[in-house]
Parts: sequence; structure tokens; C-alpha cells
Amino acid sequence: MPLWFELAALMIAAYGAGIGIGWALWGRHDQQED
Amino acid sequence: MSIRAPLVMLAGAMATGLAGYALAEPMAADFIDRLETQSAAAIAEAGGTGVTARFASATGSLSRHPLLSGGEDLDESVRTRVAREVYDIPGVGGVTWSDGTVRAESDEPTYQPLHCQEDVEGLLRTRSIRFEEGSSALLPSSRKLLNEVADALRPCLGSIIAITGHTDKAGTEPGNLALSMERARVVRQALIERGIPRDGLRASGVGSSQPVEGLAPSDPANRRIEFSVIRTEPLRPTPVDTPGAR
Repeated sequence: MPLWFELAALMIAAYGAGIGIGWALWGRHDQQED
Repeated sequence: MSIRAPLVMLAGAMATGLAGYALAEPMAADFIDRLETQSAAAIAEAGGTGVTARFASATGSLSRHPLLSGGEDLDESVRTRVAREVYDIPGVGGVTWSDGTVRAESDEPTYQPLHCQEDVEGLLRTRSIRFEEGSSALLPSSRKLLNEVADALRPCLGSIIAITGHTDKAGTEPGNLALSMERARVVRQALIERGIPRDGLRASGVGSSQPVEGLAPSDPANRRIEFSVIRTEPLRPTPVDTPGAR
């Protein structure tokens, strides 16, 4: 597996995890208020 | 949610991926150079003459997963040592040999041996499962002992547990055989009632043909139930990044 691919995959996974956590903490709350 | 939000997220993911690529490319050459130098030293130290480590993927991009080649005439133990030495370099991923399977299995067993047989024998050393004379009805005191036996056998679920009934020499042999078999069946049923799965239990009777060593065949102490835990082949651990000879 190329080195750049490992780093890119890791960063995209972290990005996805960040989006997920952000949504769980704030996004869901905003939707309930709508 | 409008269509905009998923698009923004997708764009963010692509930007992140690109950033990963842009970050990796400049430092990859130095990083792989360092790994190559260290692995060459490690191979030489492990006695792997003729073995080379290629830190590149199939497409030619730099990779931290080396492909070892050469040294086909080396001893398997030397090849294993070479692979382990390279694998131990910080930063190196899984090691593969160009002329062999991807990963070798670890030779260290990762399962703990179970001691059910010894535990049950310990329980039955001073007490025994008793039946009413000439019958296969369990005595009340034996029910408590069976609870303990079931508890001792529980860690070995998955193994085959053989229950063998024995009698003394009194009476006719066909009768003894039938009685010993019936007693083993009763114990099997009692264990099933105590939560031991039916599939793993085998009941058999041998009559008076196998007296206790050192006892006369007519001794009443020969009336007994024996348990043997026959271990089935343990599951082999899935090899993950464990370097081997090929």
C-alpha cells in the first residue's frame, strides 16, 4: 500500500469521525430545534 | 437538510485526502530512505545474505510494507529471523516475501491450556458419584457433587467430554455392562440439566472390564464414573502482521 494512500486514508477517516462527532453533539440538537 | 451540506462534506473529504497526499509525498522519500538503510543493516545482522527489501508497492509508489526477495537457499529459521528483524524496525508495516505466502503464522500458541480434567479429577478424588445399589438412580449426595462437576467442566465447553461408567465384578457381565452404560447415561442427562451442552457429552459403559489399578475386580470402589475431557483442536489465531520465513 503506498505511503501517501495510508496517510490520506487515515486523514479522511479522522475527518469522517470529526463530522460524526460534531453531528452527534450539535447537529442532532439543531434538527430538534427546527 | 439541503443538497449543499453533503456536497460541502464531500469536498472537505476530498480536500483532506489531497492534503494527505501532499503531506506524504515530500516526506516519503526521506522516510523510506531511512527504513531502507535500517532494514539493510537488520538483514545483514540477521545473517540474511542475498536478501533485499524493496519498499515499494506493486504500482511503484513508496510504501512502508517491504517486499523481501532473494536468499532462497537460506535456512527457514534464518529467513524467519530476517523477517522479524525487519519487522521490528519502527515504521515498518507488514513484511512479505516475494516467493511465499503473505504472512506466516506465529509459532507461539495464544490459547491457555484448560485444566477441566484435573479439576474434575480433583473433585472425584475424595468423593464419588454414587448410585443406589444395582440401580442407576443417583443418591441425593451425588447431586451436589454433580453440580460441582458441571461447574468444573464449564470452562471446557467445546471439548468432548467422555463419561464412562464402571461397575465391580458382582453380577453377570452383560448386566454390569448395561448397568454401567445406564449410569453413564444418567450422569450425562444430569449434566445436560445443569447446562452442559448435549453435543459435547459422550456416555459409555465398560462394565467391570477396567477395574481401578491396584484394586481387586470385586471391590465395590470399582463402581464409579470417570470423566475425560478430550480437547478438540484449538482454533488457530489469525496471523496478523506476523513475519515468517516465507
